[in-house]
Amino acid sequence: MAIDQVHDMQQVYRKLLQSMSRPGTISSIREIAERVEYKLPCYRATFLSVMTLLDAEVTFHILSEKNQELIEKISEYTLAKYAAITEADFVIVLQDDTEASIIEAMERCKNGNLLDPQHSATWIIESPLIAKEAELTLTGPGIKQEAQLQVGLTPEIWQTRNERASEYPLGIDFIFIDEQAQLACVPRTTSVVILEVE
Amino acid sequence: MKTNTHFAFFDEGSKKEIRRAILKAVAIPGYQVPFASREMPIARGWGTGGLQITLSIIGKQDVLKVIDQGADESVNAVSIKKLVQATTGVKLTERTQESSIIQSRHRIPEVALTEGQILVLQVPMPEPLRPYEAKEYQTKILHSEEDYSGAWLMLFEQIMKYGQTATGADHPVYVNNRYVMAPSPIPRFDNPKMHQSEALILLGAGREKKIYAVPPYTDVASLAFDDYPFAVESFEGKHCHLCGATNVFMDELIDHSTGETIYQCNDTSYCMERLNANVEAEVEENHV
Repeated sequence: MAIDQVHDMQQVYRKLLQSMSRPGTISSIREIAERVEYKLPCYRATFLSVMTLLDAEVTFHILSEKNQELIEKISEYTLAKYAAITEADFVIVLQDDTEASIIEAMERCKNGNLLDPQHSATWIIESPLIAKEAELTLTGPGIKQEAQLQVGLTPEIWQTRNERASEYPLGIDFIFIDEQAQLACVPRTTSVVILEVE
Repeated sequence: MKTNTHFAFFDEGSKKEIRRAILKAVAIPGYQVPFASREMPIARGWGTGGLQITLSIIGKQDVLKVIDQGADESVNAVSIKKLVQATTGVKLTERTQESSIIQSRHRIPEVALTEGQILVLQVPMPEPLRPYEAKEYQTKILHSEEDYSGAWLMLFEQIMKYGQTATGADHPVYVNNRYVMAPSPIPRFDNPKMHQSEALILLGAGREKKIYAVPPYTDVASLAFDDYPFAVESFEGKHCHLCGATNVFMDELIDHSTGETIYQCNDTSYCMERLNANVEAEVEENHV
């Protein structure tokens, strides 16, 4: 059975909304992801999120170098346009992207301006495994006291993110997705503390 | 000719645009995100902002409650309910506890909302600074510079004139210590319910084309001065003449036969539930 453009997308969106409004909360879209029949150079859940959020009104950027196939697929399915990192509304990070390329892109992507803080990039990031482990401690709106999250980004990347989100309301919002079709979000309002690894 | 409408009335493109705006609104609590506000089968200013949010997030498994000024059965609530149900087939309810999405005009229900619920508020005037600044571009600059002196001055003038802040409803709030936000025309009584709410609160203004949000567990403080603290409407010593409830938001009515002032719960489903519980208790008692 293929995916349903109306009801499955609605389900995926509600999970995204759930995770975005409660940073650190892990949602699963596995049931829907298992029905994705396309052959894709990314996780199925990544593709589902892209299908849910992108259309002809927005632009996207993919960091990965062997990305031509995915760029074409996303453009064909969503009609969104590919753009340079400095212009893109959505930035998609695949599993094989290096730390250096992520940091460079993060420094250059849109993070809004004071009049229009919503003109910032939303990052869709593939993570090896999302878990409720003590890698990061999250506090801020949407979190009762504090939440713990593991997404597998290096401390240097988080440092870059924290710098870009330091002038609130400017900042970038993250959507993490793993191979098990789990997702978790870290919007700009969340303060992220990286726990020291012994 | 009767044609089948698409699920939830909207085309998928419209939903996507509104969904993206909601995500941004959640990421920037209290900030009014512009959106394209579609033409709806009801007039702008009659809840189209809330309706557009509801239609964009609703799914087949949702249970919807719509209230208008506390009432489940008033015209605005009923017509919105009918439209959503006719295009989605979702289950409707009047019980706050049973619903997953609550669209409301001017009230937050008496029954405390929980984590699984989303409250959608209809907003006529999303800009708290509009009474003293007519230009949208100027209010955007004021928000960007966090210059809220005008909002404070408005309250100050009310204190000078009336000896207290005189906002009947829509008392401005500070969200997450950054944006001053219009909480929609809910009574002051409901403002504290927004603070550290368990449920996600989404606000939509269809005519003004703005969507904004208060995520759960977010600080919401009503604007007030140290020597004139924020106070909710007081119903001390009053009780509902139907169900006897106290400490709820009540309407003031005149009993036409006696000419006396009486009070009644504003939240009709809350009042009804209490009345039904009383009846059940009575029936059981008489049975024994």
